[in-house]
Amino acid sequence: MTTLDDARALLAEFPVVDGHNDLPWALREQVRYDLGARDIAGDQSAHLHTDIPRLRAGGVGAQFWSVYVRADLPDPVPATLEQIDCVRQLLARHPEDLAPALTAADMERARAQGRIASLMGAEGGHSIADSLGTLRGLYDLGVRYLTLTHNFNVAWADSATDEPAVGGLSAFGREVVREMNRLGMLVDLSHVAATTMRDALDATSAPVIFSHSSARAVCDHPRNIPDDVLERLPANGGVAMVTFVPKFVLQAAVDWTAAADENMRAHGFHHLDTTAEAMKVHRAFEETHPRPVATVATVADHLDHMREVAGVDHLGIGGDYDGTAFTPDGLGDVSGYPNLIAELLDRGWSRTDLAKVTWRNAVRVLGAAEDVARDLRATRAPSNATLESLDG
Amino acid sequence: MADLQDDLRPATEVGRADEPYPEEAVIVGPEAYEPVSDPDDTPLTRARAVLAAHPVADGCSGLPWVLRRLPWYDLELGESAVEADVPRLRGGQVGAVFWSLRLPEGYEGDRAVGTTLEQLDLAKAVVAAHDQGLRPARSAGEVADARNCGRVAVLFGPAGAAALGDSLSVLRSLHTLGVRVLTLTGTSWAGAAGLTRFGDEVVREMNRVGMLADLSHASAPTIQRVLTISKAPVLFTRSAAHALRPHPANLPDELLTEVGEAKGLCMVPLTAEQTGPAVRDVADHLDHVRDVAGAECVGLSGTFDTGSAHPQELSDTSCYPRLVAELLRRGWEEADVALLTWGNVQRVLRGADFAAHTAQQRRPPSTATIAALDG
Repeated sequence: MTTLDDARALLAEFPVVDGHNDLPWALREQVRYDLGARDIAGDQSAHLHTDIPRLRAGGVGAQFWSVYVRADLPDPVPATLEQIDCVRQLLARHPEDLAPALTAADMERARAQGRIASLMGAEGGHSIADSLGTLRGLYDLGVRYLTLTHNFNVAWADSATDEPAVGGLSAFGREVVREMNRLGMLVDLSHVAATTMRDALDATSAPVIFSHSSARAVCDHPRNIPDDVLERLPANGGVAMVTFVPKFVLQAAVDWTAAADENMRAHGFHHLDTTAEAMKVHRAFEETHPRPVATVATVADHLDHMREVAGVDHLGIGGDYDGTAFTPDGLGDVSGYPNLIAELLDRGWSRTDLAKVTWRNAVRVLGAAEDVARDLRATRAPSNATLESLDG
Repeated sequence: MADLQDDLRPATEVGRADEPYPEEAVIVGPEAYEPVSDPDDTPLTRARAVLAAHPVADGCSGLPWVLRRLPWYDLELGESAVEADVPRLRGGQVGAVFWSLRLPEGYEGDRAVGTTLEQLDLAKAVVAAHDQGLRPARSAGEVADARNCGRVAVLFGPAGAAALGDSLSVLRSLHTLGVRVLTLTGTSWAGAAGLTRFGDEVVREMNRVGMLADLSHASAPTIQRVLTISKAPVLFTRSAAHALRPHPANLPDELLTEVGEAKGLCMVPLTAEQTGPAVRDVADHLDHVRDVAGAECVGLSGTFDTGSAHPQELSDTSCYPRLVAELLRRGWEEADVALLTWGNVQRVLRGADFAAHTAQQRRPPSTATIAALDG
């Protein structure tokens, strides 16, 4: 048996819980939710990172589908409901492969049935429009984590990739965390500023997740997790799900992206501009400066470090497939997870530890959030706090 | 189908197993109505007896919007700040009530959808906090279940059409969250000129998921179009007879006739503005709607807690027996009263369920967008 066979055997028993997949957004952008035009029951490798055969090949046993919407849309709340509807349609179309899951028990049941447990996570506080009622509406529709911000700040929380404004979480931001604890919705700290991570860890009474973030000590990018935050995970009980996005995990790619952004600004464009003219400038840069390539080993380096700092009970995987244009070699789509597991086996990770990384930690965290919610609901009524009442 | 039935009744016996099939099919007609009151009693006593068997299903309550700004209330024990607390719902022999999630004028997009989600969240929290009196219901079967448990069934809706944010996905999400009625006014696709192509698609998708159309305050072209294309019965959650009182939301006789033919349901509001200042005015409207549309197409809409002024002696939700007594005094058959208070709403809710079951065999979820259909 090769190590890859060992990896596959391990995944057959303890499949991957992936923290973040942007398939719904890709379906919205590519075919406006015409699910027949991108039938994931068959091969969609020409258009998508994700389809059911490749999820199966990748040993995926549970997927948090991201119901992300862009923060600069005029109406993020209805757009989020559209994304949720998209996931529900996917589940209705593929009942033999995708199992609706709301709880840790649902995840275990799906694993026993050989189906892929399907959960939902919302990405960015803009999806609740500063309203705890809307937050509860999303929970009722099945959303089980909320990333507190996306690339830009919200009124009550700072993003990692925006100018500091609140300095972490505001009073209302802490109330959002408390209400999520009461509901049993996981607090996701990917994308948020380190100050927000620390404030959220102070405010939460349930384990948190990082649905797709890697280690800042390995690769200095604001989207990654600083060591002092990783060190707090054992006390909190949460899980940091390592992401594969090259421009976050490979220092050469971080530097290259910085140079490319600088080049865009020099030509008078915003660095995230995706208009045709801006893309032309970007392609010209790419022709003269080859894009650095991350590998499976790059991601494994992050996991090695995160295990040192946070411990093996607090690691997971969040590929960000269909949410990133580029992927590492060997992790080109959702069928790539066995390559990562094989790399870790080669590095001497035990089967017991890998089962925690792939399956057990994430399931434990969701279950723990449910337990906390059960206790809190007994004593705390739904919060009706508003942004105005708490933050003035 | 037992869960869709109002009352469980033993199957009618049409022959023993060892008998040969009868030559002609045996058609079991609708069961005759069995009176529950003594005709010699006073009308009010009779009204209470009829309502005990056939409680009021009230087509519109504005409670969620009132509670939004009301601190420290308790509906369980009686709450003077509202017109419909649990003791008065029980006193009025109310068995089911639609809680309006309607929005103030001018809400659209994020604000409309977000506010509707907040209203719905509040409504659910209020129902959950009063579980000795209230129970949420999403279908005719659940309404009957709530009644069998001695609870007042609360149905969520009507919501404003703006709550869809012009998206059929949002329609499906709201249905998933429990909304069952949507008022088709005040959007670009359901305005004064009637339904656009996207509006048609909204109605078809509402049929598919089992969301009832409320056409009170809708324009005449919208009403006619929905009556034509809807496979499920339609509701008017607050419309009286235009012939008696020319209010814009009241229905002229031609439309009432069409509603009768389509087996829709016109729920007459207890507001001084639309029906008149006295119990007899409301009864006049009920008489008129019954005569024009038919006894199967008339219902009641309390419109309590909507800010409307109510007729004298009908000031809160405990007053329904007085209204029913007036109808009995006028010689309404008990069977017609039973339809008015309870039976017709159950029929319409069942109709929505059946239409949805049928449409789901035939149509996948619609992916239409307003941009594609209305350009």
